[in-house]
Amino acid sequence: MKMVELLKMTTLAQRKKALQEAGYNTFLIHSDDVYIDLLTDSGTSAMSDRQWAGMMLGDEAYAGSRNFFHLEKVVQEVYGYSYLVPTHQGRGAENILSRILIRKGDIIPGNMYFTTTRLHQELAGGKFEDIIIDEAHDPENEFPFKGNVDLSKLEKLINKYGAARIPYVSIATSVNMAGGQPISMANLKELRAFTKKHKIRIIHDMTRVAENAFFIQQKEKGYDKKSIREIVREINSYTDGATMSAKKDALVNIGGFLAVNDWDIFEEARNMVVVYEGLHTYGGLAGRDMEAMAIGIEESVSKDHIKARVGQVLYLGNKMLNYGIPIVKPIGGHGVFVNAKKFLPHIPQENFPAQALAAELYLDAGVRTMERGIVSAGRKPNGENYFPKLELVRFTIPRRVYTQAHMDVIAESAAIVYDRRKKIKGLKMVYEPKYLRFFQAKFEKLQ
Amino acid sequence: MHTIIEPFRIKSIEPIYFNTALERKSVLEKAFYNPFLIHSNDVIIDLLTDSGTSAMSSNQWAGIMNGDESYAGSPSFFRFKETVQGITGMPFIIPTHQGRAAERILFEMIGGPGKFFISNTLFDTTRANIEFSGATGIDLICEEGKHPSIPAPFKGNMDVKALTQTIKEKGAENIPLIILTITNNSGGGQPVSMQNIQAVHKVCKQFQIPLFLDACRFAENAWFIKMREEGYADKTIPEIVHELFSYADGCTMSAKKDAFANIGGFLAMHSESLALQCRNLLIITEGFPTYGGLAGRDLEAISIGLKEVMEENYLQYRVRSIEYLTEKLVAAGVPVMRPGGGHAVYLDAKEFLPHIPIDQYPGQALTCALYEEGGIRSVEIGSLMFGKYDSGGKLIPATLELVRLAIPRRVYTQSHIDYVAEVVIDVFKKRNQIHGLEILEEAPALRHFTVKLKPITV
Repeated sequence: MKMVELLKMTTLAQRKKALQEAGYNTFLIHSDDVYIDLLTDSGTSAMSDRQWAGMMLGDEAYAGSRNFFHLEKVVQEVYGYSYLVPTHQGRGAENILSRILIRKGDIIPGNMYFTTTRLHQELAGGKFEDIIIDEAHDPENEFPFKGNVDLSKLEKLINKYGAARIPYVSIATSVNMAGGQPISMANLKELRAFTKKHKIRIIHDMTRVAENAFFIQQKEKGYDKKSIREIVREINSYTDGATMSAKKDALVNIGGFLAVNDWDIFEEARNMVVVYEGLHTYGGLAGRDMEAMAIGIEESVSKDHIKARVGQVLYLGNKMLNYGIPIVKPIGGHGVFVNAKKFLPHIPQENFPAQALAAELYLDAGVRTMERGIVSAGRKPNGENYFPKLELVRFTIPRRVYTQAHMDVIAESAAIVYDRRKKIKGLKMVYEPKYLRFFQAKFEKLQ
Repeated sequence: MHTIIEPFRIKSIEPIYFNTALERKSVLEKAFYNPFLIHSNDVIIDLLTDSGTSAMSSNQWAGIMNGDESYAGSPSFFRFKETVQGITGMPFIIPTHQGRAAERILFEMIGGPGKFFISNTLFDTTRANIEFSGATGIDLICEEGKHPSIPAPFKGNMDVKALTQTIKEKGAENIPLIILTITNNSGGGQPVSMQNIQAVHKVCKQFQIPLFLDACRFAENAWFIKMREEGYADKTIPEIVHELFSYADGCTMSAKKDAFANIGGFLAMHSESLALQCRNLLIITEGFPTYGGLAGRDLEAISIGLKEVMEENYLQYRVRSIEYLTEKLVAAGVPVMRPGGGHAVYLDAKEFLPHIPIDQYPGQALTCALYEEGGIRSVEIGSLMFGKYDSGGKLIPATLELVRLAIPRRVYTQSHIDYVAEVVIDVFKKRNQIHGLEILEEAPALRHFTVKLKPITV
C-alpha cells in the first residue's frame, strides 16, 4: 500500500438510524456510515502509483489531447478494436450504441440482462431476450462456464423474428447478474460461427473481460499456457465491437468507451458523442482520466494482478461456504453472490428477500452490499414486475482496496446474520422511481 | 497604480513543444483546416477554449486526493452539494459529467416539438440540445450586442421589449423556459447587467415562465456588475452572485469554466418535481445521483474551485488580462469586439477579412492563419458554428463572424499573451493573402467539431 484512506467505525445504534433514513436501500446510505463498502466494484478500485503519475500527465486540451492518442493505441493493442470513442462511463457508450444500432421492434439476444444495458435497449425501441444457458439460473449448478449462450435459444429467436430484426447479439464477459460467471472460448467461437452465417453482429459488454479470461485460462482446455493478454485479444476477435465501463477491469474511478471495427458505426458514434458526452477526443473525460485508463488497461491484463484479484474473491467465497452460507457456485470473478431465496426461505420474493438481507448485513457490522434480484430486475415495458429466478445479494469486491483481514470480517459478519436468519423480516416498497428503481427505491419493514 | 499581478504562483508546469511554420502548414492540411482536429502536441498556445483547460490550485489537487469514490453517498458529493446550494440558494443539486449533460437532461425533460426557448444568445451545445429535442431556440440580444466595435458596458443584455413581444407571439404555454447566458459567450463574453436580469425576471413572473441561468461564467459576470453597474461597487462578489441567482428558478453549469475544474457540471433548481424527473433521466445516461458520472475527486475539485473563483483579486487579474490583450490589438488597429469580454478576446473576422465572402467562412480562415503563423489555436464563432442552410441549400449566415481567443484560467503568463498579440498583429498585416475555405464533409449537428474543409485558391 502506498496510500491509505481512513475508515470510520459506527455503532449499532448509528447504523440503525442510517438504515432507516436510507429507506432500507443500501444505495441511499452515506458512505461515511459504511465500514466495508461492497456495494460495487465499479469505480471503486485503488489506482496504482503509475496511474496516479499518469493523472499528473493529463493533457486537458479540448481537442486532440495526447492522452486520447495514448488510450487509442492501448485499446488497439490490448483489446484489438480498431476505432475508439471515449465516454464518461459505460452507460454513455451503451446509450450511443443502442441509439445507432437498434430500430423500433428489434430483438437483442444476450447472455442475461444487465440493468443499464437492457434499459438502453428498451429506450431505443428494442426488446432484450435472454439466451444464456439454463444452468446460469440455477445457483447450485457448478458448471464452470455459466455465462455460455444456448445456441438453440438463439436459433428459435431467429426463426421467430428473422435475422434482420436482430441488430446484434449482446455478450457480456463475465456475466454480472449470473454471479460473475464466465463464458467459454469454445462457446464464443461456436456463437461466432453461427451468427456469421446469419450476418448478425456480436457486441461485447467487456467490462470484466480480464476476469473472464482468467477463468478460461484456469478451466478451459488448451488455454493454460496462454497469457491473459492473448486470451483477451482472442475473445475480442470474435466480436465486432464493445462497450466498456473502465470503472471495473480497467482500474479507474471514472471512464468508459465504445470501440468498434466498423468505420460507418464509428463515424456515426463520433457525431453522436459530441451531443451526449463531449468532443470525440475526450468524450466527457478529463485528459488525466484517459491517461489513468490507458495505464489501467495494461495493468488489468497482467497475470499477477488478475490472479490476486480473483483469488481474493475465491478466498471470501470459500470462507462463506465453510460457514454453510448458501452462495452462487462456482464463485464468480468480481464478487460473492449470496442466494437470498435459500438464505431467507420464509420471505416470499414479492417481499424482497435480497433487499432485506442486504439491509440486515449492513446493520450487523456496517458491510454494504447490493440487492440483485426482483428490485434490480424492475418492470417490463408493460408495467408488470419481472420475477427473476435469481434473488441474490452481491458482495462485490473493489479491486486492490481491501485486505485479507477485511475479508475475514465480512465472512464472520455474514455468518452471524446467517445464524439469526429466521428473525429477519421482509420489506414493502414505499417509493418506486420510473427507471432503474433499485438505485433510489425506498422500503419499510414488514411487521 | 501598480501592474495587476497574478494572485498566485506556479506550482507545476507543463512543457510546450515548438514547431516551425512549415510543420504547421502540413499539420493544418492533415487536420482539414479544422483546429478541432489538430493534435494538442502540435499547438503552441491553445486558445481553443477556456472550458476544462484551467490550471487547478494546489488546494484543488489536495481535494483530488481526498476524493471518496464510493458509488453511493460519497462525502465528496455532500460537500459539493452544500457549496452549490450556498452559492445558488437552490435546494436541488444534480451533478453531471459536464455542462452539456445538464442541458440535455433539462431539455429532454421540458423540450420537444412546438416548444420555444428564448435566450440572450444560446451557446452551440445548448442550441444543439434544444434542437435535438425538436424545439426551437430564439436569441434576443440587445441592440448594442450586435455591433462588435461599439463599446457598451452590458452587451450581453437581453432585449426585454422583444422578449415580451415574442412571448405574446409564440404563447407563454409554448415557452418552457427563458435562459440567460452569463456571461454571453457567443456574443463576445459580454456581461448581463443586474438590472436586465431583474427586468427579464419580471417578464418571466408576469407570464409565469421559469427563468434559468446558463451560469458557466457567473463570477466573471458578477465582477463586471461590480465594476460597471451603479450601486454595486461596494458589494462583495458573493453578495452579487447571491442576488444574481435569486432571480432564477434554476441553472445549468459547466464547472469546466468558472469552477476551474477539468471536468464536471451540474443542474440546480428550486422545483422538487422537476428535480425528481431530471434525476430519473440522469441515472440512465450519467450515473447515480450522488456522483452523476463524475469521480468523487472531481466533485471535491469543483466545490473548492467554486469558492476560489469568487476571490476579488483573482477576478480583477482575470478580467484585466483579457483587457490587456484587447488594448494591444486595438492599438494596432485590429478589429476586435469591444470592450474585452470576461474570458476571451473576439476578433471581428468580417472586418478583418472583408475580401472573403461569408460563405467562404472568413472566421475559420482566420483561425487557420493564426495557427500557421504562430501555432495559436482559436475557434470560429460564426457561420461555420451556427450557420444553417435554407431549403435551396444556401447558407443562412450567423449574425456575427467572430474568432474567439479564449484564455484558459491561470495557465498562461503575460509573455505568452504578448506573443499572442504579436502573432495576431502579424497576421493582420498580411491579411490580404488569406484565402476563404469550402466544406468537404460535415455532420448534421454541431458540424464545426468534425467538419473537413479546404482552401479556395484561385
